[in-house]
Amino acid sequence: MNEPLLKLTNTSKMYPGVQALKDVDFDLNHGEVHFLLGENGAGKSTLMKILSGSVTKDSGKIFLNGNEIDIESPQDSVKKGIAMVYQELSLFPNLSVAENIHAGMLPIKSYSKLVNWTEINSRTKAIMNEIGLDVSPNTLVADLGIGARQLVEIGKAMSRKAKVLLLDEPTSALSTHEIEKLYLIISELLKKGIGIIYVSHKLSEIPRIAHRVTVLRDGHKISTLQAEQVSEAELIRMMVGREVNEKYPKEKVQIGKTLLKVSGLNLGNRVKNAEFEVKEGEIVGIFGLMGSGRTSLARSLFGLENKASGKISLNGHSLQIKNTGDAIKEGLGYITEERKMGLVLRMSIAYNITFPILKKILRFGMIDHKAERKIALNFVDKLHIITPHIQRLVESLSGGNQQKVALARWMCCGSKVLIMDEPTRGIDVGAKVSVYKLLGQMAKEGAGIILISSELLEILGLSDRVLVMSKGELVAAFTREEANPDTIMAYAAGALAFEGSI
Amino acid sequence: MSKPVTTNFSILDIIKERKSSFKNLAGPLLGMFILVFLISIATPFFMSSANLLNVGRQAATNIILAAGMTLVIFTGGIDLSVGSVMALAASVAVVLITHFGINVWLGVLICILVGAACGLINGLVITKGRVPDFIATLGMMSLARGLALLVTEGMAVPSFAIAVREMPEEIIALGAGHLLGIPAPFFISLVVILITWFVSQNTRTGRYFFAVGGNKEAARVSGINVEKTKLTAYILSGLFAGVAGIVLAGRLNSANAHMGVGAELNAIASVVMGGANLFGGEGALGGTLIGGITIAILNNGLNLMAVSAFWQEVAMGIVVVAVVVFDQWRRHRFSEKK
Repeated sequence: MNEPLLKLTNTSKMYPGVQALKDVDFDLNHGEVHFLLGENGAGKSTLMKILSGSVTKDSGKIFLNGNEIDIESPQDSVKKGIAMVYQELSLFPNLSVAENIHAGMLPIKSYSKLVNWTEINSRTKAIMNEIGLDVSPNTLVADLGIGARQLVEIGKAMSRKAKVLLLDEPTSALSTHEIEKLYLIISELLKKGIGIIYVSHKLSEIPRIAHRVTVLRDGHKISTLQAEQVSEAELIRMMVGREVNEKYPKEKVQIGKTLLKVSGLNLGNRVKNAEFEVKEGEIVGIFGLMGSGRTSLARSLFGLENKASGKISLNGHSLQIKNTGDAIKEGLGYITEERKMGLVLRMSIAYNITFPILKKILRFGMIDHKAERKIALNFVDKLHIITPHIQRLVESLSGGNQQKVALARWMCCGSKVLIMDEPTRGIDVGAKVSVYKLLGQMAKEGAGIILISSELLEILGLSDRVLVMSKGELVAAFTREEANPDTIMAYAAGALAFEGSI
Repeated sequence: MSKPVTTNFSILDIIKERKSSFKNLAGPLLGMFILVFLISIATPFFMSSANLLNVGRQAATNIILAAGMTLVIFTGGIDLSVGSVMALAASVAVVLITHFGINVWLGVLICILVGAACGLINGLVITKGRVPDFIATLGMMSLARGLALLVTEGMAVPSFAIAVREMPEEIIALGAGHLLGIPAPFFISLVVILITWFVSQNTRTGRYFFAVGGNKEAARVSGINVEKTKLTAYILSGLFAGVAGIVLAGRLNSANAHMGVGAELNAIASVVMGGANLFGGEGALGGTLIGGITIAILNNGLNLMAVSAFWQEVAMGIVVVAVVVFDQWRRHRFSEKK
């Protein structure tokens, strides 16, 4: 078995405006966990997507057990024995465990062509044994916890006789106990010769389960190393590439009086009793793993969740948090986690920028198109949004430029406090740095910024203060000087108990 | 990579920017011209000015309904009730005028208000009651038709057994008169299209229609009151159904509960043939106008060719779908080239 299970050579992928992967070589052995490491946008997801068939590579070759293969579609990938376990789970919550595990390939009886339930149940039980899931096959997935769902995903891959398993941040939403269980199952799978490509931001997982580590940066492969030979510091340096200061430009800003004061903010069990402040010129980083409630917190603040309750005051005015219009009027701005949730992609750049300020550019009750053009052009210029003209649809822009449009919107309506949820997800390094610079500039002009991110380095690099969110609660707070990656990670993962006040 | 724009802009930029919106009308226009060409070969009488004016008259109510429908479709909704609401509004108004003898213009106002009220109810049920657009307006479609039957007791009004006066001249003029040589109803429909176009392009609410239909969640994040926007679209759709009702009553010289059966489908077809996206966020009133005229041309042409009414329905269905298939294909090609 000298031939690697899976091998990629010279693989490249170009998206409009972004070189997502450039001549990457990668291989995976039988019974190995190969850890894939990199910042957001480094090319990890692109690599996974190529293997799982949801995007096609531009160039390069893929070998499975020494034979060259083409992966044309997700179905094709599954047929060839490659299974992706999605981070954002791809299960049907309204169907049972058995139906989910066999989704798309329910066994049928040979004559009647009806679903063969006896067979499904017996197969499901066998698989559930293998993955250590102890519920009835008829349980609805909606009734399972997130850890059990992850196992069902893995079960789904097993039912497809997968040889290569792609795990994307499998532990990001799991408790310590569930993680241990997952590791156990992984080691069982490895014994059967299955190879696992493991994507995670948690460096601490490497010594626990990885055999080798590959670091990607800006679409290039930096290095592949034996897991026991590398230190975390070395890996971070390889991921970031340049000096951290240069990557995360941090302006010296005078921090002023309190702008935003939040207390007793609740939203079901997604946000529990959140309490914090944001001052003029301050960047407050909120770090949390997937499912920690960080996006719910942002949405509650901005009046998008009508079940949210709590006290929010901005500049001393208390805010009706059930209404987005009021939040904006009082000077809040919100940049959504997914750009398509905040921008109307099929409308023009100009229109997307001016939505919240249309009221201010009315003449005799009608939109003053000239004023609108002027404002839009001004911001396109100021933020260096690259486009031939301002009537271009936002969907035709690159991710970085789309994000600048979102920023321009809130800059032009003079937002005092800007909530940014994963502002640099899926945009390339150059664009990231310019987004960071704009953040710094806004802070300098006296705005307060809430930076929500799952990118720890980003949080550490830019924040004046770091809050950590876990299971709906703000569990810890650090000043810029105190903040250190290990402690923050531990709090975020729920390993450390609530301590002190925030 | 293209160069960044500069703050100095010229008229040329504006033309460049606007070009894309004209491009979207190319498909519907082409469809209409092909149809005109084919029909005028088959029956030369089609191109006579008397007949063309007739086409305009026939197109009018559909265009008025389609204008309101366009706004609703911009927001990503659909209004199945417009045909019934038109019948109800006209019935109420004509009964009040001819049986109870109220002032004609008060009657016209009531007609429009009844339409708007139905639209308001649709909008409230959809936004406050969280009922899908399709279901809410389907309910109104049946409800309004039933009310119209009750109001008219199932008869054409004015029914001369009990009416105190005949259909007033003013209303007949709205449906059958002329203004500057153009049939009055067509003139009214053009005014309606012009107003809706102006609203959609130059007012905040107009801009919001597109935003809500393009991406409801993003609209909300941008501070747009999504519910209020949808409500406005439905009110306008109902209001225009009222306008169409009085015009149609004038043209028919009477109102009855069975006016405009199936009118909602013609209105939707006109909007979609005009290039609007049924899922919301895209389209133009100019396209709707072309769509409405195209449908009238088709009906008129088939009539001139003495095609049976049954076959006309079949032909209508085929042409509507064919135009949209063509348009989808054209857009798909265009977007791939981009």
